[in-house]
Amino acid sequence: MTTGNTIIEVKDLVKTYPGDVRAVQGVTFNVKEAEFFGFLGPNGAGKTTTMNMLVNLVKKTSGSIHIDGIDLDKNPQEIYKRIGFAMQEVGLDETASAREMLQLHGRLYHLPKQRIDEQIAKLLKLVELEKVADRYTATYSGGMRRRFDLALSLIHEPRILFLDEPTQGLDPHARQLIWGHLKELNQAGMTIFLTTHFMEEAETLCDRLAIMDRGKIVTEGTVQELLAKHEAKTLEEVFLKTTGSNLGDEEVNLNAADPYARRN
Amino acid sequence: MGTFFSDWYYLSIRNTKQIWRPLLALIPSMFIPIFFFFVNSVSLSAFAKVPGFPNVSYKDFIAPVALFTAIFFSAGNAGIELVQDIANGYFKKLIILPISKITILLSKLTEVAVQAVLQGAIVLVLLLADGVHFNTGVLGILAIFGLMVIFAMAWSCVGIIAALRTKNARLVQSMFVIVFPFLYLTTSQAPKQLLPPTFATIATYNPVTYIIEGVRALVLYDWSSPAIWQGFLMASCLFVVMVSLALKSFQKAIS
Repeated sequence: MTTGNTIIEVKDLVKTYPGDVRAVQGVTFNVKEAEFFGFLGPNGAGKTTTMNMLVNLVKKTSGSIHIDGIDLDKNPQEIYKRIGFAMQEVGLDETASAREMLQLHGRLYHLPKQRIDEQIAKLLKLVELEKVADRYTATYSGGMRRRFDLALSLIHEPRILFLDEPTQGLDPHARQLIWGHLKELNQAGMTIFLTTHFMEEAETLCDRLAIMDRGKIVTEGTVQELLAKHEAKTLEEVFLKTTGSNLGDEEVNLNAADPYARRN
Repeated sequence: MGTFFSDWYYLSIRNTKQIWRPLLALIPSMFIPIFFFFVNSVSLSAFAKVPGFPNVSYKDFIAPVALFTAIFFSAGNAGIELVQDIANGYFKKLIILPISKITILLSKLTEVAVQAVLQGAIVLVLLLADGVHFNTGVLGILAIFGLMVIFAMAWSCVGIIAALRTKNARLVQSMFVIVFPFLYLTTSQAPKQLLPPTFATIATYNPVTYIIEGVRALVLYDWSSPAIWQGFLMASCLFVVMVSLALKSFQKAIS
């Protein structure tokens, strides 16, 4: 699937919040073009902080990030055009309908009107929300909101899609539906960067995985490579061996997960 | 530059739709000024006969307050809407769009201006229907709206700054209470010479006094009244100061 070209290049990425909370401690990794890359880890491991730094929602303390060859520090606007982001918290305008939101975002990505209309029709069909497209998003169920958020992140056909826990809180049917959409997008050539703590999700979707714990990447590779490297039978076993998931650390890092709770 | 204005326009359209979604949300900010105007204009009408009161009806005297109360309450909605966007995560989506980020704030101010005109127009129609006379005519009414729009945008920055700095919906929603000291510790209910000395001093230092007096001069007197330019000067100063502070808070929130 992958072309072999590096599309996300992260070097020595560090994020330290006030109070010396070290959420991310020198993370380095690459993601290839058209790769489905998974970022696993227990709650509070630093996955969301890392992803938020990649999309420039959180300022890094040090290190470098290049997306599609562009330095995030130098030209974030160019990077915004190339990425889509479906966040853990599904942020929607609840006083707007799905169609209105898609139109607005299409316009703010400066797409021609005809392309916006085509994209809206295509995406509403993809996430099976055609019949409720003119209803306010406030009336949507959790699953519908997640599916719509995915559609919204795809309005401008980004080259790279960032997904933070995209199936969190969904029932198995909705989860399968989203997995199916993601596989289709990846097969069509889209690079997908996913954070999750569902082993099944990571095994089903990802070409390659990195496991993060306490702000550091503790292991990285394909599922087969990880099983062999850690002499494990399942990915869950690899996860437990490498993270030893500790609730005390989780609580410390959870405070660091929301950039808007800590800035001021 | 083209995309700057189109981004501003589309975000303004989005924000402006929030004014009447849901329509019922408009009622409180319309009800309060209209209610107080009709109650006060009847119950306090004898006040106009007190020595030292200008030679005008009490209804005409407090008409500017009805317009102002509508603006005060509606301008507070901008902060509430912004804090809702921040709390539910939509604000994050906006700041990773390839747009000039300042258009997010400018579109909020545009929404405030549109709402000030809409709500001001409704109150104006009711005032005219009740027999309030605007001495400076149509031009004067346009000037009143200009003054109110400038002040509404300045006042909305109080809620916007609170939203950006605290990100706390309950706090921003409860900030409407500060309207009361700013509105009533002025010459809104009586001319300064009839206020107790302490109140008169507070009113002198309350910037809202000058804006109310500016509107009042446009309702009651003619264009030669210095209160008109003083009102515009005060509103403009408040606009510059408050928008600058809001910009600073906005830059900090997105950096």
